[in-house]
Amino acid sequence: MKMSAQRLISNRTSQQSASNSDYTWEYEYYEIGPVSFEGLKAHKYSIVIGFWVGLAVFVIFMFFVLTLLTKTGAPHQDNAESSEKRFRMNSFVSDFGRPLEPDKVFSRQGNEESRSLFHCYINEVERLDRAKTCHQTTALDSDVQLQEAIRSSGQPEEELNRLMKFDIPNFVNTDQNSFGEDDLLISEPPIVLETKPLSQTSHKDLD
Amino acid sequence: MKHIINSYENINDTARNNSDCPRVVLPEEIFFTISIAGVLENLIVLLAVFKNKNLQAPMYFFICSLAISDMLGSLYKILENILIILRNTGYLKPRGSFETTADDIIDSLFVLSLLGSIFSLSVIAADRYITIFHALRYHSIVTVRRTVVVLAVIWTFCTASGIAIVIFSHHVPTVITFTSLFPLMLVFILCLYVHMFLLARSHTRKISTLPRTNMKGAITLTILLGVFIFCWAPFVLHVLLMTFCPSNPYCACYMSLFQVNGMLIMCNAVIDPFIYAFRSPELRDAFTKMVFCS
Repeated sequence: MKMSAQRLISNRTSQQSASNSDYTWEYEYYEIGPVSFEGLKAHKYSIVIGFWVGLAVFVIFMFFVLTLLTKTGAPHQDNAESSEKRFRMNSFVSDFGRPLEPDKVFSRQGNEESRSLFHCYINEVERLDRAKTCHQTTALDSDVQLQEAIRSSGQPEEELNRLMKFDIPNFVNTDQNSFGEDDLLISEPPIVLETKPLSQTSHKDLD
Repeated sequence: MKHIINSYENINDTARNNSDCPRVVLPEEIFFTISIAGVLENLIVLLAVFKNKNLQAPMYFFICSLAISDMLGSLYKILENILIILRNTGYLKPRGSFETTADDIIDSLFVLSLLGSIFSLSVIAADRYITIFHALRYHSIVTVRRTVVVLAVIWTFCTASGIAIVIFSHHVPTVITFTSLFPLMLVFILCLYVHMFLLARSHTRKISTLPRTNMKGAITLTILLGVFIFCWAPFVLHVLLMTFCPSNPYCACYMSLFQVNGMLIMCNAVIDPFIYAFRSPELRDAFTKMVFCS
């Protein structure tokens, strides 16, 4: 490496007197020696091809790993759900100001909520209505409600806290008028207190 | 850096073998168009954030930092083209002192843009990470004041590094430091995003069974990381090959594609607003308001 640097410097001094070239791009001062293409074992563009193929393989591999992660372990939606879980889901959903639909409660709204939360964090708020749901205050009482709402049975405490933290929408906008949500939040605690014994019993049931 | 970037271009053609790899030359109009598109897009992002009070939040400041570094990269290409035109039409004395100084300044602009991009992307990923994993304390961790301080430190460091790298570009440790930033940052971002993705996956697993949401997250992540890798890796490899095997025929064939690699960096500046800034509906609304109401 030192040799090539010295060669570069020595070429520089000899280049000073060289005439100006016709090249459009030429305005530098170093010259590397002539490259000989004799006796190449592999194709001359092998580094180019190998690099791009390797890059494509890496990105595709990464994509497949991510999609495999999405597919493994997704539990099948149990239709015979406990009514307590539905009720908690309702209260969770109602925190975000959506209307309650008890008959379709879990799969559709839960899916939309999860999608909204997911997009909230990964895609930085896809649509404005979801943006509105994300613009919530991170008040402690909403924290508690969400903790009760999202059951994660049989999990250690730290993961529960982690999920709880994840569930809290965080794109707080101080200019946003969220009177509706505030009213909902204020009115929510009694529901939480009621669900507490239910959730604990169902927690034991699901274990 | 110029000698690393451009030294292959000064090779006397007659000294080359006939079977060598001819330099792939892209018309300058393509570079000009892409650079101007990059400058305009990122300028729009900056204006939208500047004019809209709602968007003056830490998250958007980081996106602005990315827009600034992309804009600097496109500006570098425009200035370089202008210098070349001036030189070819004879207004500029070739290899004069003005030209060498201008070269060095433009080179440091390029390195500054590159480092700025790298650090902006890292800091955006870190901000999203804090949003998810420390959600309750987000507003006490990421305040506007701290954001400004972090961005000031990053840009000062990038400016100083840019100048130092251009001055000391002949030395190999400089090149190694410069090129090692790319994989380090890639690993950092990869870890952050995969961790976020895993948490999102475990969350949605509890709520719903549809894998469609996670599929969309996987696609988003792949796009984010894939665009970055595809646009920056070719150039980084070029710098490495130029330093360590300039006279190897295989390396020379790779380096003949330099203009394609440079164009990929310009394309990155054009694509970045779409995958970072315009994903936010607030910014999109601010943009449409700005364009259609003015």
